[in-house]
Amino acid sequence: MWLFLSTEIMFFSALLGSYVVLRFGAAVWPKPHHVHLSEPIGAFNTFVLICSSVTIVLALEAARANRAGLAKLWMLLTLLLGTLFLGVKAYEYQAKFAHGIYPQAPHGRIYEKPDLYYGSAVRARLGEPAIIDKLKELDDTPAEQLTPEQVAARGRLQQIRKMVASPEQQAFDLAVVADQVMPLPTEAAAGSHGGVDSGSGHGGHSSGLNDIFPWLRLPAVIPGGNMWASTYFLLTGFHAVHVIVGLIVFTILLGYKLGPAQAGKIENAGLYWHFVDLVWIFLFPLLYLF
Amino acid sequence: MSNHDPHAAHSHGPITRPGDMPEHDHHEHAGHAAGHPADHGAEHGGIGKYLLVFLALCGLTTMSFLTYSSYWPWRDEPHVGWAFMMAVSCTKAMLVVLFFMHVFSEANWKYVLTIPAAMMAIFLALMLVPDIGMRNRMVSQERALHMARSSDVLLMEQAAEAKVLEEPAQH
Repeated sequence: MWLFLSTEIMFFSALLGSYVVLRFGAAVWPKPHHVHLSEPIGAFNTFVLICSSVTIVLALEAARANRAGLAKLWMLLTLLLGTLFLGVKAYEYQAKFAHGIYPQAPHGRIYEKPDLYYGSAVRARLGEPAIIDKLKELDDTPAEQLTPEQVAARGRLQQIRKMVASPEQQAFDLAVVADQVMPLPTEAAAGSHGGVDSGSGHGGHSSGLNDIFPWLRLPAVIPGGNMWASTYFLLTGFHAVHVIVGLIVFTILLGYKLGPAQAGKIENAGLYWHFVDLVWIFLFPLLYLF
Repeated sequence: MSNHDPHAAHSHGPITRPGDMPEHDHHEHAGHAAGHPADHGAEHGGIGKYLLVFLALCGLTTMSFLTYSSYWPWRDEPHVGWAFMMAVSCTKAMLVVLFFMHVFSEANWKYVLTIPAAMMAIFLALMLVPDIGMRNRMVSQERALHMARSSDVLLMEQAAEAKVLEEPAQH
């Protein structure tokens, strides 16, 4: 088991090392709130994994003390906590995908900087037949049928459509477009400093045109966002795969009578699970707080 | 591996040099064979120890989360926060490894496997530094044109503050 764990140490520390090297070598790296990462959710997931580490240790102790029922209960609790971790992770992934943050095209809609390529990508999206129809429909909708927020957003969208079509657009205009499509939230707007209200001020998570009109799905600008997405999904993805393997092992173990005879198996499963916890202990600050 | 044998897996390493096995070791092994399940808890310090470690881990997580809150005094100096978080993470890792993974009460031979593996991983990361970590020191003009820079973030922040589009909408 320890031989296996040492190969896992190499695997993950190579990934983590590459992440650190890539991150500090990058000219610009997005802040956590630029990429819709929520620190409280990450901290909660850390807490969940720590709890599951304790429950698996308690399962081992109970099995050694020949209390099979108690061991099974702890094991079940570990399984549930691991599933909860995965559920929270899936929710977080969903939040990224909803903002077009994917590691790669065609799903990825991240542009590195508000340059002419970005402008032409926005223009191309606005020129798609389905979007043209939708825009026409939006323009013809009476203001009474829309919320005041949507009316204001419609006005901004109309100006943006003129801006990207204009032959005299400047870099600053494109930055304005990018800011309207998906603003880079400031720390205050992202609900940092312990606050929870987000989206109230400018730059909040839900004030972008993409959020107000979800069908729009315009390209967005996150400087450094592509490299961030690649490393984030690779690291958390491999970690999630390890969590899934752990859950499968726990499910198999739940089929046994967890007495002293199975203590060796539980110990090995536990060692593996502690390692998964260990990796997250480093992933959480590196990804969420740096 | 040692862990397949529950009788040998704790407290004493399964591999002991034949020369220096102390006398009382035999006695303890005999004791295990007799009253084995009951004295496990006592030997490892029991559930209380695990709860203590658990509380310490929770406290440390809160500490690293502190760097994100408004009480953190070094908000303008991110390196302080990074160093602090890494110190906290290493402490947490040590706690998990020593107590949950029972390394504290097991033989030293595991280090023979894990330390070289960890060192090789560190060297791998270091070897990436010249080509990957310093990739932006010397870039072609074309690449420099297309890569994101901190000035792009600045530009977008300026665009957000200017509120070019919002004024006509209010009229």
